[in-house]
Amino acid sequence: MNIVVLVKQVFDTEAKIVIGADGKIDDSNVTLIMNPYDENAMEEALLLKEKFGGEVIAVSVGAAKAQETLRTALAMGADRAVLVSDSAIQPASDDFAAAQALAKAVSELKPDIILTGRVAIDYGSKIAGRVAEILGIPHVNTITKLEVEGDNAVATREIDGGSEVIEVPLPAVFSAQKSLNNPRYPTVAGIMKAKKKELKTLTLADLGLDATVTGKMQIVGYSLPAGRKGGRVIPGEPAQAAAELARLLRAEAKII
Amino acid sequence: MNVTRELYWNIQGEWLIYPLFLLSLAIFGYGVYKRYSLWRLGQPANRNDRMWARLKSVFDYILTHRKILRERQPGVMHLLIFWGMVFLFLGTVVVGLKADMGIDIMYGGFYLYFESLALNLFGLGALVGLGIALYRRYLRKTDGLDNQFDDGVILILLTVIIITGFVLQGIRIVATHDQWAAWSPLGNLIGQLFAGMSPAGLSITHRILWWFHLALAFGFIAYLPYSKLFHIALSPVNIYFRSLAPKGSLSYINMEDEDAETFGVAKLEEFTWKDLMDADACIRCGRCQNNCPAYLSGKPLSPKQLIQDLKKHMTEKGEIILAERQTVIQKGLQHGGSHGEAAAGSEAADAGLVGQVYQEDTLWACTTCRSCMEQCPVFIEHVPKLVDMRRNQVLMESNFPSEAQIAFRNMENNGNPWGIGWQTRGDWAQELGVKTFEEEPDAEYLYWPGCSGAFDARNKKVTAALVKLMQAAGLKFAILGNDEKCCGDSARRLGNEYLYYSLAQENIETMKGYGVKKIITQCPHCLNTLKNDYPQLGGDFEVIHHTELLANLLQEGKLRPTRPLQATVTYHDSCYLGRYNDIFAQPREVLQTAGAKLVEMERHHEKSFCCGAGGGRMWLEEKTGQRINEMRTEQAIACAADVVGTACPFCLTMLSDGIKVKEVDLKALDLAEILAQSI
Repeated sequence: MNIVVLVKQVFDTEAKIVIGADGKIDDSNVTLIMNPYDENAMEEALLLKEKFGGEVIAVSVGAAKAQETLRTALAMGADRAVLVSDSAIQPASDDFAAAQALAKAVSELKPDIILTGRVAIDYGSKIAGRVAEILGIPHVNTITKLEVEGDNAVATREIDGGSEVIEVPLPAVFSAQKSLNNPRYPTVAGIMKAKKKELKTLTLADLGLDATVTGKMQIVGYSLPAGRKGGRVIPGEPAQAAAELARLLRAEAKII
Repeated sequence: MNVTRELYWNIQGEWLIYPLFLLSLAIFGYGVYKRYSLWRLGQPANRNDRMWARLKSVFDYILTHRKILRERQPGVMHLLIFWGMVFLFLGTVVVGLKADMGIDIMYGGFYLYFESLALNLFGLGALVGLGIALYRRYLRKTDGLDNQFDDGVILILLTVIIITGFVLQGIRIVATHDQWAAWSPLGNLIGQLFAGMSPAGLSITHRILWWFHLALAFGFIAYLPYSKLFHIALSPVNIYFRSLAPKGSLSYINMEDEDAETFGVAKLEEFTWKDLMDADACIRCGRCQNNCPAYLSGKPLSPKQLIQDLKKHMTEKGEIILAERQTVIQKGLQHGGSHGEAAAGSEAADAGLVGQVYQEDTLWACTTCRSCMEQCPVFIEHVPKLVDMRRNQVLMESNFPSEAQIAFRNMENNGNPWGIGWQTRGDWAQELGVKTFEEEPDAEYLYWPGCSGAFDARNKKVTAALVKLMQAAGLKFAILGNDEKCCGDSARRLGNEYLYYSLAQENIETMKGYGVKKIITQCPHCLNTLKNDYPQLGGDFEVIHHTELLANLLQEGKLRPTRPLQATVTYHDSCYLGRYNDIFAQPREVLQTAGAKLVEMERHHEKSFCCGAGGGRMWLEEKTGQRINEMRTEQAIACAADVVGTACPFCLTMLSDGIKVKEVDLKALDLAEILAQSI
């Protein structure tokens, strides 16, 4: 069974976002990690491999430093990795271009199962649906359980107030919810081995794609949210203070 | 007049002693060789350096009984038996010198004072010691003494050997009308019991008893390596080979070694020979267990059982491995030396430790408080064994409590166990006007607040107090700010040597980059890691803890308390400050100089009780048994103090939590906070 896992390198959740002199987000001082939901996807792929055998290939689209994230995937147990890296795409935010590139890279690997996280925590992108659409195969999102039998898979997905069990023919794309599993912590042996595993870097041209896959979206500018203001304490007797609070909520905050 | 006694009085055929002695020596030698072969299954460890220091330590600890006497009753018991047996042995040597080598010193004053009087008194002492031992084991049924068959055999064997010796002396005194009888008061007294017996009766009783006594004494020698008597030979050896490395360091692993196939200890043979020798050196006295916070709080860990299980496993599995090796060698010889079969091992020979000898939970229950090692009279190294097994579980098996994974990730991504953004580490300093080394490269000291001091709300108050004191004393210090990372203590003690290595490397590089020489740490864990672990990676700095600094500043008069505290304070010794780094006096000096009335908890100094957070347990859940921090809080409450003084952020957190649960009027404060109140 061949399994492709789409992983994305994202900012650490605690990263301090700074806009650089060029008006873009400055990532030079930021800790970069594997998108946490993609770790669940990786874990599921490794569990499937342990059960059915085959190969697990981690695929990412991103800047050259996304190689580090792929090395983490290799350390967890992926057999090899592919990075699509091209200055023509803004993979962090341009889902359209990223999906095109990923779909092309994936289709050449002929996987039975494609797994990825349900959402990327940086730009909130949900790449699974796009990739499935381009490849013309089924897609089940936010899965909490995955069972494979022959050419079919039965996935349980989280929906509002319950869960839904869906059977799909393979190949198909699944996106992982946190509760799918507990991602493993790489062993040192895994980290050592990962250094020697194959990690291929491809450009759009290598995939036979041209610049038409990009350019659907243009980022005009970035700005940081306004800083949080401290709370305000209204002094005085309870009744007085409550009256003042009500007045402020009406007059200043305009919410009642 | 010749003041002595006749050798071999009433005995014929004494030449039989020699073949019997050789036989007992042969049995003894075979037994020692068997155990030695088992130890040799272990990995190399260099314990041959500093011979004089080692020899000195053997004599020091054995002759003075310094550690053994820490427990009064069993200490005195052992002291009496030990010196009694030593004197009786020396008395026999004196006889041997005369009988076999013609060196006669057995006359005159020496005969009277030593060979007669001293031996009588020390023999009596040994009997008293044996009496205490029998009482402790079989009448009082002391906690932690698990009586085995061997224990009883040995106590009775020793008692009978000594009593028969006295009876033999008594009969000889009565039968020969020994004029020096008064010099052997106990022998003489016993002899009076036989005063009415006929000369023939005395003679035959004496002869039978004499051979019986001899058989028991030789039996003692032969039985030694097969029983717990082995400790007589092994304790000095184990003390000789004890670790002379700083107490706080763990064995070095080269994480850059690309050829390393395995890390930590998964199997018996991966322990060092010294680890295996430890297993045989244990005499099951139970002091480790009686001071183990994990054991006392009902966790599935007893340091005593840990060592005993290792001994059992070594005996069983080791024998199988040795037998298999023997077969392989024989087969190899028969087949002209082919090594093909050498690889095939039986299932028993492949057995691992975790899951088969030890439960997983046992490994993770240890707080690495080191009390077991501190109490052990023969310097058995419990904690390194547990950490070595943790290392294997983390680095090779990726098998550890899931809470640890969160802490590991946080340390990897943000350089602190809480996972708070690393770019906010230095924020606390802005309000207090503390500069970074980048801003003030000439600072004399690097002040290392540690993760707790930089991120934890409660401990940031300690940081503020300490900064205030250092500023008041006019100290030139700076911080690393956002460049500081977790020291790696928790990672290392949880077995994640890889993560520790990367954190330590970065810190050492940063500090070297700024030319840091002297470091003040706020946390004993940082102190221990920077001081005792970092030298292994080339980080040699002068590291002191804030309590040492404050004690110095007070002594030099750079800090002068003006408002003496009117409070009773009990000081809780942090494991990594006290037991690991011998800092017991300075914190107490600080408290006393601040005007506090100092009271001690029941367990203090070397016997201090862990708060429960060491060894990375700060980041793990405590699911079984009593909570260790609540037990320690109860001990603090019991001594009726107003304040429990701490010098460690983990202890402060754990005790504060304990106080909240117990809802008592007790405050937990760091020493810096207490001192700051009086300045």
